[in-house]
Amino acid sequence: MLVILETKDLSYSYPDGTLALEGINIKIEKGKKVAFVGRNGSGKSTLFMTLNGTHKPQKGEVLFHGKPMKYDSKSLREVRKNVGIVFQNSDDQIFAPTIYQDVAFGPTNLDYPKDRVTKIVHDTLEYVGLTHLKDKPPHHLSGGQKKRVAIAGVVAMDPEVIVLDEPLANLDPVGADEVMDLLNELNYFGKTIIISTHDVNLAYGWADYVFLMNEHKVISEGTPEAIFMHDENLKAAYLRRPVTLEIYEEIKRRGLVKPQCCPRDIPDLVHSLRSQQLLWAKVPSEVKEGDNINLGILYGDYAPDSGYEAANCKVLHIHEDGLAIVEMDRRPYRAGSIGIYDTEHYTKDELIDIISRDEIECIGAMGKQSKVLAERDDIYLHITAGVVDRSILNSLAGQRCLILTNGGMVGHALERIKDYMQKSGINIPVTVVNPKQEA
Amino acid sequence: MTHVLDDYALNSPLREKNNWLKLAITIFGILVGVSSNSPVPPFVIALCMGIATVHFSKVPVIFYLKILAAPAGFVLVSSVIIAFLSGSGTELFGFDILGHRLGVDTAGLNLAILVLARTISGMSCMFFLSLTTPMIELFSVLKAAKLPDSFVEIAMMMYRYIFVFLDVAMDIKYAQTVRLGYRDFKTSFRSMVMLGANLFIRSWEQGEKLYLSMNSRCYDGKLIMYDEKRPVKMPDILLTGIYFVIVLSVFSLTRDMSFI
Repeated sequence: MLVILETKDLSYSYPDGTLALEGINIKIEKGKKVAFVGRNGSGKSTLFMTLNGTHKPQKGEVLFHGKPMKYDSKSLREVRKNVGIVFQNSDDQIFAPTIYQDVAFGPTNLDYPKDRVTKIVHDTLEYVGLTHLKDKPPHHLSGGQKKRVAIAGVVAMDPEVIVLDEPLANLDPVGADEVMDLLNELNYFGKTIIISTHDVNLAYGWADYVFLMNEHKVISEGTPEAIFMHDENLKAAYLRRPVTLEIYEEIKRRGLVKPQCCPRDIPDLVHSLRSQQLLWAKVPSEVKEGDNINLGILYGDYAPDSGYEAANCKVLHIHEDGLAIVEMDRRPYRAGSIGIYDTEHYTKDELIDIISRDEIECIGAMGKQSKVLAERDDIYLHITAGVVDRSILNSLAGQRCLILTNGGMVGHALERIKDYMQKSGINIPVTVVNPKQEA
Repeated sequence: MTHVLDDYALNSPLREKNNWLKLAITIFGILVGVSSNSPVPPFVIALCMGIATVHFSKVPVIFYLKILAAPAGFVLVSSVIIAFLSGSGTELFGFDILGHRLGVDTAGLNLAILVLARTISGMSCMFFLSLTTPMIELFSVLKAAKLPDSFVEIAMMMYRYIFVFLDVAMDIKYAQTVRLGYRDFKTSFRSMVMLGANLFIRSWEQGEKLYLSMNSRCYDGKLIMYDEKRPVKMPDILLTGIYFVIVLSVFSLTRDMSFI
C-alpha cells in the first residue's frame, strides 16, 4: 500500500514550552479512512496542525509522499493544497461574507482563472447540496450547513488528504449523518480521510484504521476490531468500549451468539445471533440426530415481519414416539431486496413507476441532494439516517427497500451491501434500478 | 438570532436590482432633501422612499415605523427646542417663565419644520438603501469605487465576525443574567466590563485562528469579490426617472415657499 503521510519520531512543544506531541510515529495509507481517537487534550488537533505544516516540529519530521516536509512558503503551499484541514469550529474557518466567496477562497488563492473558479465553486456547492444558499451570509446557516460549507471550502482545492478535527461536534444526528455520507463518498472517490474524535462508536463503525492517543503520544494502532476488543488499550486511553461490542460481549456471555468475532454494526450484530427457538416436532423415523429437515412454511405469529418464513430445522435430539427436539433455523420465505435508484437522472414518474412495479415498502434517501428531491416531490422517506444499515436489516426481514442516492454513494452503497453478503453468507438481491443508459 | 436591518435586505425582492441604481436613488434623495429650503420636497421624498421600502421591498410596516420612530422621536424633540429658541418675526404664541419670555415665532417654526422634514427624508433614504441592499452587495460597490483592496477585505471580515461576536456577546450576557449579573447598577457595571474584556480576548484569539485557517487554505493575499451581475432593467429606469422628475418639479415649484 502507498503511504501518503508519515511522521518519524515527531515531537512538538508550544512556544511557551508546553509539551504537545512526543515521539509520534505514524504511517497513513492512501485512500484509507483513518480515525485518531483520544480524550480531549490528548494532542489530536496539534498533530493535525503538524500534518499540513502549520506547526513545525522541534524534533523528527513529517513525510508527505515519502519526502520530508520543507517549511519555505512555496513547499508549504504545495502541502496545504494537498492536505486540507477542516477545523472543529466552522466559524473559525468560514470568514467570507457569503458562502460563494468562502468556497471560492481556496481556488482563488491557487491562482486559477476566474471562470474555472466559478465552475469549481458551482460544482462543489452542488456536490454538498448547498447551491441554493450561495448568496447567503454564513450566520444564516445551521450548524450542519456550516460544516458542509467548511468541507466544501476544503474540497474545492481538490486535496489528496482531508483532515477533519472532530467533524461531528455539535451536530444533530441527521446533520452528522449527512456529513458522514459526504465523507464516505469523498473516500469512495479516492480521498484519504483522517478524522479525530472521542466518539468510540463512530471510530469503530467507520474507520479502516485507528490510532489511540493519550498524553501527547500514540499509544496503540490497528484495525478497529483489534483496537477496541482489548480493554487495556481503551483503559489506557481513558475511553470505553463501543456499544455494539458491549452488547455483543454481554449476549455472548449468555450464549446467545454464534462464536464469530466482532460485529461492527447492527446488521453484523443481528447476524451473529444464535437461533433460540427449540421445538418439539414429529419427525419421520429415518431422521437421525444432526440432520436438517424442512418443516414447511410458517406464517402469522411465527413470522411477524416477513409474511412467510421457511422453517429449516436441525434435529438435536430424537425422543421416543417419533418426537424430536429441533432447533429452528429460519429464513424469510419471501426474500427482501434492495434497489438503488440513482437520482442523477431522476424523473418523478419513473421513480413512482418503479415503486409500484417492484412493490417497494421502504424508501430511504442518502445524501442531501436526494433528500431535497424527495421532499420537493413529496416522496415519503421511511429512512433518513443510517440508510444502508437499516435497508439491510429491513430486507433481511423480508421488506423490499429502495435507496435514493447519487454519484459516488451509489457505488459506496453497493459495496457496503456486498460486503455484508460476503461476511454473512446471506444473499440479498441488490440492483441499481435505473442504470445509466449508454448514449 | 437577532433580526438586524441586513437580514431584511438579504430577503428583499429589491436585492435583485442594480446596486448602483439604488445607490443613485439614495444619494439623489439625500442631496435634494438637504438642499431644499422648503419642507415640501423632503416630505415627498420621505413618502416615496417609505412606499418603496414597504411596498416594493416587503418590509413589514410595523417594523419600518419602529426603526423610523427612534430618529423621528429624537428629531421631534430637537424641532420643538429649535422652534422656541431661534428665529425672529411675528410671535405666534408664547408665555412667561420665571420672568423670561419664551415664544415661537414664524421663522423659528419654519426652521423647525424644515429640520424635521430634512432629517426624516434623509433617514428614509438611508433605510431604503440598508433595507434593500445587504452589505455583501455593497462590498463590490466599495471595490468598484476604487477603495483600497485591504480596506475592503478587512471590512468583509469585520462584517462576518460582527455576527459571530454578536452571538457570543448574547450568550455571555444571558449567562450573566441567569446568574444575577444584572441585579443592580453595581453588578450590571461589573458584568458589562467583564463582557467587554471577554469579547476583546475572544476577538484576539479569533484573529489568530482566522490567520491559521486562511493559511491552511493557501492564503496568498487574494479574496474574491462577490459581484453578481445585476443589469439595470427598463421598468426600473422608468420608475426611477418618474420619481426624479416628480421630486425635481416639486423642488422647483416650492422653492422659497415656506410653511407659514
